[in-house]
Amino acid sequence: MSAVIKLSNRYKAETSELVLSGWDAYVAETTAPDWVQALRKRGAEKVRMMGLPTPKLERFKYFNVPAYLKKNALEFGAVNIELSGNTEYVSELGASYAHAFVQNMLEATPAGEEKYGDTMLWDLANSVVANGHVIDIPERSKNEKPLKIKIKGEAGKAFSTRQIIRLGDNAEFSVIESHTGEGAYWNNAVTQIKIGKGARLRHYRLQENSDESLYTQNMHIQIEEGGSYEAFTLANGAKSSRNQVHVELLGENAEVFINGINLLDGKQVGDATITVEHKAPNCLSKQNYRSVIADQAVGVFQGKAHVHQIAQKTDGYQFAKALLLSPQATMNTKPELEIYADDVKCSHGATTGQLDDEAMFYMRSRGIPEKKAKALLIEAFIGELFEEITCETMREEVSKRVSEWLENHE
Amino acid sequence: MIEIKNLSAEIDGKEILKGLDLSIGEGEVHAIMGPNGAGKSTLSYALSGRDGYEVTGGNASLDGENILELEPDERAAAGVFLAFQYPVEIPGVQMTTFLKTAVNSVRKARGEDELDALGFLKLMKSTCKKLNISEEMMKRAVNVGFSGGEKKRNEVLQMAMLEPKFAVLDETDSGLDIDALKIVADGVNALRAQNRSFLVITHYQRLLDYIKPDHVHVLADGKIVKSGGPELALELEEKGYAEFSKEEAA
Ligand SMILES: Nc1ncnc2c1ncn2[C@@H]1O[C@H](COP(=O)(O)OP(=O)(O)OP(=O)(O)O)[C@@H](O)[C@H]1O
Ligand SMILES: [Mg+2]
Repeated sequence: MSAVIKLSNRYKAETSELVLSGWDAYVAETTAPDWVQALRKRGAEKVRMMGLPTPKLERFKYFNVPAYLKKNALEFGAVNIELSGNTEYVSELGASYAHAFVQNMLEATPAGEEKYGDTMLWDLANSVVANGHVIDIPERSKNEKPLKIKIKGEAGKAFSTRQIIRLGDNAEFSVIESHTGEGAYWNNAVTQIKIGKGARLRHYRLQENSDESLYTQNMHIQIEEGGSYEAFTLANGAKSSRNQVHVELLGENAEVFINGINLLDGKQVGDATITVEHKAPNCLSKQNYRSVIADQAVGVFQGKAHVHQIAQKTDGYQFAKALLLSPQATMNTKPELEIYADDVKCSHGATTGQLDDEAMFYMRSRGIPEKKAKALLIEAFIGELFEEITCETMREEVSKRVSEWLENHE
Repeated sequence: MIEIKNLSAEIDGKEILKGLDLSIGEGEVHAIMGPNGAGKSTLSYALSGRDGYEVTGGNASLDGENILELEPDERAAAGVFLAFQYPVEIPGVQMTTFLKTAVNSVRKARGEDELDALGFLKLMKSTCKKLNISEEMMKRAVNVGFSGGEKKRNEVLQMAMLEPKFAVLDETDSGLDIDALKIVADGVNALRAQNRSFLVITHYQRLLDYIKPDHVHVLADGKIVKSGGPELALELEEKGYAEFSKEEAA
């Protein structure tokens, strides 16, 4: 069975219809638990009403979901998610849908629904909810080694993986997600995170989806007083990928670090769209991205810090630097500040440049071949961000992949 | 030996070198002096293969091999070295990494064994010591935050480690204090060898007291206009370049 989604709202795509096969089978399924059916229906209604985001929507200006779906016929289904490492505190969400998940999903409003108006992908994910985990970390607990979550995309499928990670007060947890796959597929992932008082989550992602895939990651993070969230994403996979992050700093002295490296080539599109809402005083937020863009690839960084009136003494920082390796490579950067408090320290900046000719010549005049000289300069460019990764394992994984990428690039 | 014949080169369509001849025998040291803007640095860049310095005529060979057709890194492997007038800063690339990559790239291209970590460190340490460069500097990014004199000494350090057959020193003496000048000159003299030639570009006769040249040339308006022995440098110090600009005007 297949559904025809009419994009009949103001963000209407050029072609008004998209065929999403298997979609209404999910929506119509009657054997799923009640809460699942309810959530799917609610999501489906929204999708029917709002459609899918097109580049006419400001926040999707550089990211075209309908264009991808028009080119690739996909069937809705589920994929396997593998967990390894320290799984002691992990309750798996199998076919039985863990109770915690029920509670959580029904009570939570999808991130930024009213405010940012770009949660259509979240609604779509709700309409097909099936695949995911709840990770509940009790108060003052911690894992010694990062939990590893492996998600593998399968050709021809559209699916929606979901992670819910909740840290009790003063808990400490670390996760490394790895995304790989084969062929054309779409993972429209949802991640929901709650960090309790004084708790600390380190959340890493190695995004190595197949070159033909579409990957949209929708994240919502809430941090209580004194809590800390550190995210680092290495994105060198997918035909088009979008890391959409919405953070809410809810208690004093909470801090958040959203960092990432994009390594893009061919006709890849890599989009990082981040919103941090400061809703309490004395919080710190840092967004720091480096993009290395080869061939005709396109990088996007849309970072926003929204400082509410109550959030005095906010320290907000966002910085995006891009290195273009070819004349056809593009970077679109839009750092934004929206500040309603008067005593804040906020800064933002963006640079886009090419490899320094003088440095290249200097190195080559010392006998260093062109490719190696480029690699040294690129490593230097992204190297500053390595120090931001506080987890040894992740730093090694990132460094290994960066070297591999450089090996394969002129 | 290095042989440059009737070399012409232009930058942005503007002719800078206008048929330059120069030949330096094995083990010889030649000095080039000449007014600002005469084309001395242009010569050094044309020989090392910098983009934008387009050779429009003539040729240059090192031990019979035409170097003008080689990429800059291939020239380095063939034995050409340029100590830059303005050494380049490379933020984020550590000196040690840079040197090790350079040394091993050149060794590999020359068919020699690459140095392992230990062998390399030994070489770097002993070279640093000779040139009175602190090892701590090797942990910093290439030339970043180095003083003018440190940058110049760093050029000589790289030269020592890359063991060229033909080295061009473009104003390596400028910006050096008296002690540093002596250290740099000692460093260069220590490298003087039967199979290594030098082209020393300088504005000051003083350097040539330390590094004794076999021949001195005057480069003016893109050509070698006068050649002689070491005494020519003294003469120039006294009279300046008026004679050569007069020639040009005539
Ligand atoms: N990128 C450029 N575009 C145009 N002209 C240039 C460029 N670079 C150098 N030139 C010109 O070429 C001429 C030769 O410059 P060069 O640097 O070779 O002189 P030099 O003899 O080394 O002088 P100095 O003693 O001051 O170092 C100068 O007139 C200079 O202005
Ligand atoms: Mg010069």
